[in-house]
Amino acid sequence: MRLSVAAAVATFCAAILLYPLFEGGSWFWGTLGAVLAVLAASMLSGRLSLPAWAAPVVGVIVLWIYLTASFAAGKAWAWFVPTKASVVELARLLGTGWTDIQRFAAPVPANTGVTLLTCGGVGLVALLVDLLAARMRRAALAGLPLLALATVPATILADPISWPAFVIAASGFLGLLLADGRERVGRWGRAVLVRRTTRAAAPQPPGAAGRGARAAEHVRETADTRGLRLSGKRIGFAAVVLAVLVPAALPVMEPVSFFTFGVGGRGPGAGNSISIPNPIAGLRGQLELPEQRVVLSYTNSDDKPRYLRIYALDTFDGEQFSMTERKGSPDNRTEDGPLPPPPGLSRGVPVSNVVTDIRISDEITKLSFLPLPYPPRQIQVDGDWRADVSSLMVFSTRDEAAGLEYKVSTSEPAPTSELLKSLPHSRSDLDARFLKLPDDLPPEIRALADQLTKGARSDYDAAVKLQEFFTRTGNFTYTLETQGHGNSALKDFLLRSRAGFCEQFASSMAVLARLAGIPSRVAIGYTGGTKVGDRWVVGTNDSHSWPELYFEGVGWLPFEPTPTGSLGQGSARVPAYTVPPPDSVGDSSTPTPGATSNSADEPLSPQGRINPRQLDREAALQPVGLPAEEPAPWPAYVGIGVAVLLLLLLVPAALRLLTRGRRLRRLDGAGGTSSKPSRPSKSSHPSGPDGSDGPDGPDGAGGPGAPRTGSGAGVRAVAGRRPNVAAVWAELDDLLLDYGTERGTSETPRALARRLAERYEFDADSAAALTAIASAVERSLFARSPGEIGPMRQDLRTVRRALAATVSRGRRVRAVLLPPSTLRRLRRLGEGLLDGFDRLESLRLRRAAPKGS
Amino acid sequence: MAVTHDVPPQLDELVSTAHRIREAVESVVEGKSDAVRLTLTVLLAEGHLLIEDVPGVGKTMLAKALARSIDCPVRRVQFTPDLLPSDITGVSAYNQQTREFEFKPGPVFANIVVGDEINRASPKTQSALLECMEEHQVTVDGVTYQLDSPFMVIATQNPIEMEGTYPLPEAQRDRFTARVAMGYPEPHAELEMLDVHGGASPLDKLQPVATTAEVRTLIEAVRGVYVSQPVKKYAIDLVVATRHSPDLRLGASPRSTLQLVRAARAHAALAGRDYVIPDDLQDLAVPVLAHRLLPSVEAQGQRRLPEQVVTDLVRRVPVPETRAS
Repeated sequence: MRLSVAAAVATFCAAILLYPLFEGGSWFWGTLGAVLAVLAASMLSGRLSLPAWAAPVVGVIVLWIYLTASFAAGKAWAWFVPTKASVVELARLLGTGWTDIQRFAAPVPANTGVTLLTCGGVGLVALLVDLLAARMRRAALAGLPLLALATVPATILADPISWPAFVIAASGFLGLLLADGRERVGRWGRAVLVRRTTRAAAPQPPGAAGRGARAAEHVRETADTRGLRLSGKRIGFAAVVLAVLVPAALPVMEPVSFFTFGVGGRGPGAGNSISIPNPIAGLRGQLELPEQRVVLSYTNSDDKPRYLRIYALDTFDGEQFSMTERKGSPDNRTEDGPLPPPPGLSRGVPVSNVVTDIRISDEITKLSFLPLPYPPRQIQVDGDWRADVSSLMVFSTRDEAAGLEYKVSTSEPAPTSELLKSLPHSRSDLDARFLKLPDDLPPEIRALADQLTKGARSDYDAAVKLQEFFTRTGNFTYTLETQGHGNSALKDFLLRSRAGFCEQFASSMAVLARLAGIPSRVAIGYTGGTKVGDRWVVGTNDSHSWPELYFEGVGWLPFEPTPTGSLGQGSARVPAYTVPPPDSVGDSSTPTPGATSNSADEPLSPQGRINPRQLDREAALQPVGLPAEEPAPWPAYVGIGVAVLLLLLLVPAALRLLTRGRRLRRLDGAGGTSSKPSRPSKSSHPSGPDGSDGPDGPDGAGGPGAPRTGSGAGVRAVAGRRPNVAAVWAELDDLLLDYGTERGTSETPRALARRLAERYEFDADSAAALTAIASAVERSLFARSPGEIGPMRQDLRTVRRALAATVSRGRRVRAVLLPPSTLRRLRRLGEGLLDGFDRLESLRLRRAAPKGS
Repeated sequence: MAVTHDVPPQLDELVSTAHRIREAVESVVEGKSDAVRLTLTVLLAEGHLLIEDVPGVGKTMLAKALARSIDCPVRRVQFTPDLLPSDITGVSAYNQQTREFEFKPGPVFANIVVGDEINRASPKTQSALLECMEEHQVTVDGVTYQLDSPFMVIATQNPIEMEGTYPLPEAQRDRFTARVAMGYPEPHAELEMLDVHGGASPLDKLQPVATTAEVRTLIEAVRGVYVSQPVKKYAIDLVVATRHSPDLRLGASPRSTLQLVRAARAHAALAGRDYVIPDDLQDLAVPVLAHRLLPSVEAQGQRRLPEQVVTDLVRRVPVPETRAS
């Protein structure tokens, strides 16, 4: 039973890793239900003592009933007994879920189909884990299905999994392994004593050793698994900590997708398909492909390269851009004539009509959107393709684009700078989602947007300044190595690293544009490609993302913040109308070869020279943007590492010194109060009536007449209250440990003094100092009034020197650098912590005990 | 020298008197200073002593020497199987002149009673003596007679002479504060003994060195010795440890705790201290506790004596926490 529970917990912990794939929490509860259903089935078959092969059958049936009751209750008999109709319904839901998952980028909306798919999948994994761990008793093997579950988000998302989620999942699996180990040891007994907990070993005050022995007997009867549990926890804890910390400590750890889902085959035998289920994740993957693969080719009427857009991502959730649900009604079918008019484009704007013939490669799979130049007016294509009214994306829920050949006519707006500058700042009919930003957007980004667009007279001015910031004044560099999404990633890109690829550039510019009040969205698709023969050929390396900004009267216009040319996205081109007009930039007018331009304006090279005025502007940016971090040379890193290591090694020594200092201060504080001037240094009495009086005459070396060390300096005494000799005693204890001997638990102060003096043959001074300490401790602890106590600082020093003289040099060095007393204290601290864990665990077990296990 | 405090004045006299007694006793019993010291400790702790050893090692000599060095009435009872209780406590005899029953006090009416070979008497007689030991009084024919103070019984018994003996039951062994084994003397001590004892018995030359009143004062002083809370707790820990030890069938009684602490007081006072330290308890644990304990069957099988078990326990039970003061 314990194993079944542990298996269910492990499965659910691993299922938590799926969180970044979904929007909304319905999948969470559904998954929990599925896991619980499997657990119930497992416990049922355990209770009925069913054979091992029957357990998964029962599990499948229970899971089936659960899914029917949750998702197809209306079609089922009595809401949970599966009928033919309910099966059909489930199959239908599975189908929709499947297509949704194929279509949407993560996080996918957790609608019924997707939730069903998730619950069913997790339920099957739970079944498998339960079968392996609880029935076949192969708990380690049960890690495989869990690992499969865990790799799902890792392969779909480019982001690394967040470490708390990983810790939860790992703890779940560890719990399963521990439960298995305990079950096994509980049944067969323990072979090796792993650790005696201090609770079991330490003699309790009244019971002393007797009770300990009795407890040990009791434990022997039930095969103690405490030690095992503890070492298991230790190892597991260490493994998890290492797994989390080591990657973080390594300088560069890029997530590498082992399974090239969605990116196309890389190795031999990986299939010749390129699928694009997730726009963002797919983008980088395509850009990173070592060899270029042809995606499509096209010809057009004016033989100019054009960006081909696939997706338009319109909502920004603070992490990344994503698509809202598309609205494509049957009357927007491409075969039914012209597409809806491009939003925002008014009649007064000059347009250039172009006809493009596009041929999609056969190797493309799972692409249900058509790459099209924007804005398409009419498309001649086979199949059920529909246009999304607001974005003019063309998609199909049935057909795929692979191998398609289609003809599209576009009416591209060709505005001039002047026209754009004169546009009004009103956009009453546009959806507010194009301006929406998360509330927790870092204020630094807002400040940056404000600063960049200061003094802009129109939206267009602001947009141009933003693009200029990315391409020239901001010193951005193009690289495919970036980290993550999210506000922090956005902030990091804009303010610190200033290095990324088209996705970052496009998203950042879109965000900044929204901050400046310009509606924006992110387009994903391909650049115009390169001319091969008489066709323009677009390959995987031409995957691209760019921002589209909305201007009332002109509509959506693409901008190009990504660096172009050899140092950027090679085939990207800067639209002519985005080039800053002469009055704001000055004399820079280097023509860009191959720019897409229907107007007379000459485009600028993105790597154009920066004139003095721009330098000024860059200087003005300095307070906002943090200076890029200078990469330190590697010897510096090594040096820092070694220094940190040395410092860490010195920690015990420092702790020891601190402790000693604190004790000596306490000693001085105690000695400083109400001091008497002096006293006779020695009692005239012999210690006992006869010379053989053991307990009272511990030192043979000192003798009654031996002068006491330190007494000549004027012995201060403390009367009236107990002096703080505990500090001296503790210090003496630690000293002994540091120099390789130790006080026994039953050793009294004077017995200790006697033993040390005899064993190490102390000289008179040392023996006297040691005895003085022992006597002071004894009196302060056991006498009615402790009497006079001398300054023990000196005595302590004498004893320390005497002890140090008895050991080797290496031992002395160790006593200073790695004092065993401090190490022991640290170890005890750790053990106390572990004991605390143990107590927690026994607390839980005691409560569960009545149920029996 | 280590002692950095003066001997308290009230113990001054005690230490010197005790020293005199010890010297006197040791002039008779050679080389047995530990046994002598323990005997004195028991005397000052108002307890009774059981001396157990083979015949002829000076058990009776020790008892007699102690008795003689203190100027007080001493009686010696040789226990035999036909000894009657009234032979110890005394009898009421009819006085024909006064025509009344007159109480004739037995040998128990003395300050020091030496019971030789106590395990040879019948249990009935033994118990008569033991009652006196515990309650310091004798009841004959309904009349209770108080015993004088100090009152100390020094009993001897032979462990190996099993024939014709009645071993002391546990309950009666429990009444003795301590048991001491004399052991054979060292060769040089034996040689000296030959020299000294060759002529006349040294016992005859022994002069009393202390009076009853002095001993009473000493006992009073011992009662004033301070026992701190941690030391009391340590005493309890030691005793409780015997009760839980797997090697022992019978642990020590609460009475033994009481006697242990009392003896520790005397031990400390003899050392010139007016407070008890754990060392006192450690020194006394074996003589005070061992004779009350019954080893378990396993321990018997391993031939582990209760003395060894107690020594082990002393080594294992932690002394009062010296850190947390």
